[in-house]
Amino acid sequence: MTARISKWPGVELSAADLYEGKVTSVRFRPDAKYAWSAGEAMTRFLEELQAGRLIARTCHKCERILFPPRMFCEECFRPNDEWTYIHDTGTIETFSVSYLDKDAKRITEPILVGVVSIDGASPKMGMMHYFGEMTKDDIHIGMRVKAVWKLPEERRGSVLDIRYFRPLREGEP
Amino acid sequence: MTFLERTTDARRFRHCEGDIEADYIYTSGIAGERFFVALRDDGRLVAVRCDACDLAYLPPRMFCERCFSELTTYVDVPREGRVAAVTIARVDRSGEYLATPEAWAFVTFKGIHGGLVHRLLIDPERARAGMAVRVKVKPRDARVGAITDIEGFEPAGSPK
Repeated sequence: MTARISKWPGVELSAADLYEGKVTSVRFRPDAKYAWSAGEAMTRFLEELQAGRLIARTCHKCERILFPPRMFCEECFRPNDEWTYIHDTGTIETFSVSYLDKDAKRITEPILVGVVSIDGASPKMGMMHYFGEMTKDDIHIGMRVKAVWKLPEERRGSVLDIRYFRPLREGEP
Repeated sequence: MTFLERTTDARRFRHCEGDIEADYIYTSGIAGERFFVALRDDGRLVAVRCDACDLAYLPPRMFCERCFSELTTYVDVPREGRVAAVTIARVDRSGEYLATPEAWAFVTFKGIHGGLVHRLLIDPERARAGMAVRVKVKPRDARVGAITDIEGFEPAGSPK
């Protein structure tokens, strides 16, 4: 239908017209500041990451150990009860072999990412992260992995304080 | 913390701060273009007339709000207007205190529907609704085709 319309009504302006001042206009940058808070549970989680530990929240009613931690149990619909340290080992639940980097640029050496369910938390509770010290052919669902931490002085209280998860070696707990 | 306790200062938690780069360029539009070009090139204020409704709109617009007809007849706004409402600004638009308060007014013109909001170029103590005022525009080489081409409104009796 649009093919039959050769000339649209209105005034066509290009970006150059605007920058050259062909028409009058107002340019403005709103002073739109924000502060995004991690909240009660995530703040403690990030602080514990800086200390090289993973922490979860326990609900006494359903006896689940919630990870990543949150202050409210979504099953029991009540505030949960206590902080619980969990391990830095786990099992690969799902993974992707990515030939695109963070900026969606094509790469030849794939990035391995996925979700690890963490030992000590309730089943299927885990976090997304990078995988390392393994190839795209080694990685599989159910693979046992362990966190590789940054040096304490390099940690910033970020999820990247863990560099990646590597395969759990034989004899490791 | 129980669920019913309130967090009153979210910044005591870890947080990230930023600002949203929501830049924009807003064009004046067809009727607005006529208004700003007349202001920039001739230092004149124009309104747009609807003959059917016997009304002139300021700022000018493309369509009559009453009869929806397209408006193309532009007329000059009288040099003198009247302060319809006045307010004293003590802070700027980002909330910072001004060194000296400023008077701002909504000015209407005889026979014209609408009006303009701008600075009143007088001591704020003397600003009153009902004052007769006259538009003061910047010199030609300082005008760019924006509302700031108007310096403000000065008392009608003041020397030019």
